[in-house]
Amino acid sequence: MSEPYELLALTEVTPGMVLSHELLDTNGLVLLAKGAVLSEATLASLARHGIEAVPVTRGGEKAVAAPDPHAIQARLDYLFRHNDREDHNDWATGLLRQYIEDYRLEREVAP
Amino acid sequence: MNTLHLEELANKLEDLPSLPAVVMELLSVIDQEDADISVLAKKVALDQALTAKTLRLANSSVFGLQVKVTTIQQAMTFLGFQTTRNLITAAATTGCFPSRRCPGFNDKAFWRHSIATAACARILARRVRFNQDYAFTAGLLHDIGRLVLVTGFPNHYQSVLSRRSRDDNELLAAERAVIGIDHVAAGVALAQHWNFSDTMRQAIAWHHEPEKPGAGFLATIVHVANAVAHALDLAGETEEMVPVVSSIAWTAMGLTEEAWLHAFRETEHQYEEMAAILMA
Repeated sequence: MSEPYELLALTEVTPGMVLSHELLDTNGLVLLAKGAVLSEATLASLARHGIEAVPVTRGGEKAVAAPDPHAIQARLDYLFRHNDREDHNDWATGLLRQYIEDYRLEREVAP
Repeated sequence: MNTLHLEELANKLEDLPSLPAVVMELLSVIDQEDADISVLAKKVALDQALTAKTLRLANSSVFGLQVKVTTIQQAMTFLGFQTTRNLITAAATTGCFPSRRCPGFNDKAFWRHSIATAACARILARRVRFNQDYAFTAGLLHDIGRLVLVTGFPNHYQSVLSRRSRDDNELLAAERAVIGIDHVAAGVALAQHWNFSDTMRQAIAWHHEPEKPGAGFLATIVHVANAVAHALDLAGETEEMVPVVSSIAWTAMGLTEEAWLHAFRETEHQYEEMAAILMA
């Protein structure tokens, strides 16, 4: 028995959705396997192949646990462990560190 | 553990896998305006695996082609000779070195980091209006000296890795302490052996010291791209570490925070696509 699925217009598919059926191109060649997770890059690629509709698993946004900010911060602290925040000479590394933190923790950034 | 000498290194280079002859030829016509493109395209096309990888790269969303290319000749027409040549080089080098020679050396992580650096370098080059193709290739090959050491002296390099892990310091320090040669010197030796342009060789030589007079702007770009690649944690290396970023190099990029965040996002996207193709 097949899983419940819906056929969405490509423009309605959001990254993280899962392909419910094998996707073929106009020559019958397999573009993507069933169960493939659709990333932004993949969706852009499908658009270029002229794909207009995509069957996705219903209610099937891949259950990604919301990333734990503490875990993210801990990893970042580890990555930048040789950067001393108090060392003003190392300000460039410090700035990279701050921007990466803002990026990973999805903070609002002034334009 | 004995230290190595540059002579031993030079001897080992002879034993290394060489790039396919056609790639060597492509690299040697780097500056020639009138290189016979169609002849070269035909030679590359004889290597199916190389052609397939190159075309997949060309058709990835990274290069924004409106039309899907199905031959090397077409790729050269739509992307230009330089870009295509660099894609071919990328496809060839990533397939070139034997893996799993040295326990403790993570081949996959090495290439993931190299591809991430290449992606970032290309994105930064566009922003500072530098040649994106040079930046991409230099980013991809900046640490190639590590592969020379790993392939030629696996036992020595295993000691280096243990030392680095124990001291948790920069790789260069561990290399110099244990074997007396570092991956920069090995990379420069390989660049000469494979007949890379001066521009490329300099970027490999100075990407850790971009402030050195005569290092060249490409070294600055690769230096920053390398740091960003480490910071984005894309290699999947447990003991990943962000190196010191040169303030002069950072300032030279001239990006606002918003622009940096955009660059991080673009780097991650392009890295995912290219890694899937190059490491298939």
